[in-house]
Amino acid sequence: MTPDHSRLLNALGLIAINTLLVLAFIDQIWFRDLPCPLCILQRAAFVAAGFGLALNLLFGARPSHYGVTILGAVAGALIAGRQVLIHIVPGTGSYGNPIFGLHLYTWALIAFGVMVIGTAIMLLFDRQFQGELLRPRMDIWALMSLTIFAAVIVANIFSTLLLCGVGFCPDNPTDYLIFRDNLSVTSG
Amino acid sequence: MMTLPFLLFACGLAAAWTRRRETALGFWAAGVLVLLVLFKVHVTEVLNIAL
Repeated sequence: MTPDHSRLLNALGLIAINTLLVLAFIDQIWFRDLPCPLCILQRAAFVAAGFGLALNLLFGARPSHYGVTILGAVAGALIAGRQVLIHIVPGTGSYGNPIFGLHLYTWALIAFGVMVIGTAIMLLFDRQFQGELLRPRMDIWALMSLTIFAAVIVANIFSTLLLCGVGFCPDNPTDYLIFRDNLSVTSG
Repeated sequence: MMTLPFLLFACGLAAAWTRRRETALGFWAAGVLVLLVLFKVHVTEVLNIAL
């Protein structure tokens, strides 16, 4: 695999992560399925994992960058796995609406697993690490995926701030905390 | 508080975009650390399963 192929695959991987995070926003805004604290942490873990792919696009492919992706994905799998275990026993309820029969935290666990396997497969191709430039060429795919990645991170900052304020999030959020607090201040 | 990991990752991405790789990795590591601490704080329910 040449550095060019590697760059394209990294860009596509980052686009896939961007797509997951955008879909989570669509679920949150369109279907008013507000994310729980663990759901927000899973989104942050997707960003942590995507960070390694972003580093590959900005600095060229390195094994350490793939390590960043694997560690981020493992952290995410830990969080998603814990949430799956909370609801795994029938009758213990669930959080949010299922999509194609599975809840978002279950899809997240699957996605983190796929990311670990995919990254491990990418690490098998040594040629991508040879002759890489310090400042790799920025093609349209890389630029697009990085720009959307940055936008999604900023959107998550504002969304989490609206939902939780500056403190910890409620376990089962029913509304945006920052609006509720401001309304109670103005009505009081 | 919950925005902190995203803020740290955003700072890391900004550092990476301005060619400061070590700084970017530092922000990323801090972000993951905060993420795990927040996870620990939010894990309050006892799992009703026998493994």
